[in-house]
Amino acid sequence: MLKGTRTLHIDYSKCIGCETCEAVCKFLHDTPRITMTRTTEGIMIPLYCKHCDKAACMGVCSRGALNRDRDGAVVLQPLLCRGCETRNCVMACPYAAFFATCSGVAVAKCDLCASRRDIGLGPACAEMCPCGAILYVDRDEVEALESEESRKAHKRVMDHIRPPRCSR
Amino acid sequence: MNFGFMKAESAPPNGREVAVIGAGPSGLATAGYLACLGYQVQVYDKLPKPGGLMVFGIPSHRIPADRIQRGVRDLERRLGVIFRTNTKICCSAPMHEEEGDHFACDILSLNDLVDNYDAVMICSGSWKSRKLGIQGETLKGVYSGLEFLFPIRAIQYASTNVSVPDVRGKRVAVVGAGHSAVDVVDSAISLGADKVSLLYRRTAKEAPCGSYEIDRMREMGCQWLERCTPVAIHGTDKVEGIEFRNAVSGEQETLPVDVVVGAIGEFPTPPFQKELGLENVRRGEVRWLNMTALDNVFVAGDVLSGPSKIGKAVYSGLRAARSLSNWLDLKAQHRESEYNFDEDKMTR
Repeated sequence: MLKGTRTLHIDYSKCIGCETCEAVCKFLHDTPRITMTRTTEGIMIPLYCKHCDKAACMGVCSRGALNRDRDGAVVLQPLLCRGCETRNCVMACPYAAFFATCSGVAVAKCDLCASRRDIGLGPACAEMCPCGAILYVDRDEVEALESEESRKAHKRVMDHIRPPRCSR
Repeated sequence: MNFGFMKAESAPPNGREVAVIGAGPSGLATAGYLACLGYQVQVYDKLPKPGGLMVFGIPSHRIPADRIQRGVRDLERRLGVIFRTNTKICCSAPMHEEEGDHFACDILSLNDLVDNYDAVMICSGSWKSRKLGIQGETLKGVYSGLEFLFPIRAIQYASTNVSVPDVRGKRVAVVGAGHSAVDVVDSAISLGADKVSLLYRRTAKEAPCGSYEIDRMREMGCQWLERCTPVAIHGTDKVEGIEFRNAVSGEQETLPVDVVVGAIGEFPTPPFQKELGLENVRRGEVRWLNMTALDNVFVAGDVLSGPSKIGKAVYSGLRAARSLSNWLDLKAQHRESEYNFDEDKMTR
């Protein structure tokens, strides 16, 4: 079903931590769905939703508010999410890509710029990244895009959001 | 960078013309947003190429220059944005005080723009380097971060006007631990410096560039001196050494060096700071988001906030552009009073 659909992919080794992705997302969606964080080593990195093939968030949402749309994006239905206090999705996401809000809808998440896709545009963060670190690519191509450098950089990010000592 | 990301095709003209001063991240974001709404946008920049510090400050291994140029070309071809490079909009400060002024061939006054356009957006950035403020700072061989980095990129555009700092085989001391200090260290090493030392008044933990970058620089052979505050630069006609207070040992030490780079930040250099009432805009004490004391003149980016990051400049440029188009739209219908500044400010 997901064959031929596209997703976001960030090559953290190309990212310079300039915050443009977050800025553009915030401009368009108010609560940014791609968010900068500073690791303990002082690297600025964007956390984002990978629209996983097997999305843990979809499994834990008790209200069925997380669904896949025609382009394979995992999208949140605010009407179903509204008022939920469990925030199961926030805890289930392995990439820390759910952002708790203080408005009625409990969380904000990336929908690959759904309203832009409707009119034939791609996600705005990928359009504006100065370094070409964010790509909107075919799911099958992601693996081929990885390099030793990008894997190392990705591991640094993962070690920050899932400290190695915690997983023991 | 697709600055015109709001639309896939070109927009029908809305009959309004806007001038943008400065073609850095905030200026280009503003230009892209407004052009997508149908504005005829003209972008003025003192430098020979659009891109600002993304092209002339940040080393090319961090931002591929062609990505910026592709975005600029798209603005020109698809959205009809007109770039007027080598043109400085004259400001209250004397010329040739900032880096890059010598590229300006044409000088226009802000009044000309205000008279000829429906609105003006000032995104001139922060180009004046902060000085170390210590003895010996005027010696030959002392640079600011921007003075050091700018020519390395600019040399491709005008080899007669600029020269790359000569550090081959020399000992270089860099003061500061922000991202531009890291870029100076990288550049000095790739230009063949014999030894590079980085002095920072606080510890690696507090360094804005982060400990990862510091470890990386040390691996490249850079000497890291933390809790060291420079007190004087010594030398007769050129730099011979830098004296600093080492807070770890509590002693004054002198490091023999040939080049000192103070990468400790920049100041905004807006045209007519006072007349435009920029202090009030900074504090948010204005009636219209990002509008200056002059009607139809808006301001965004680092010129307002001081040196920040590309993302902050882009956000500021987009917000100000939206505010500008709101202003012109409501003004055309004499409905300015309906604007809700506090609401606009809330979502900042």
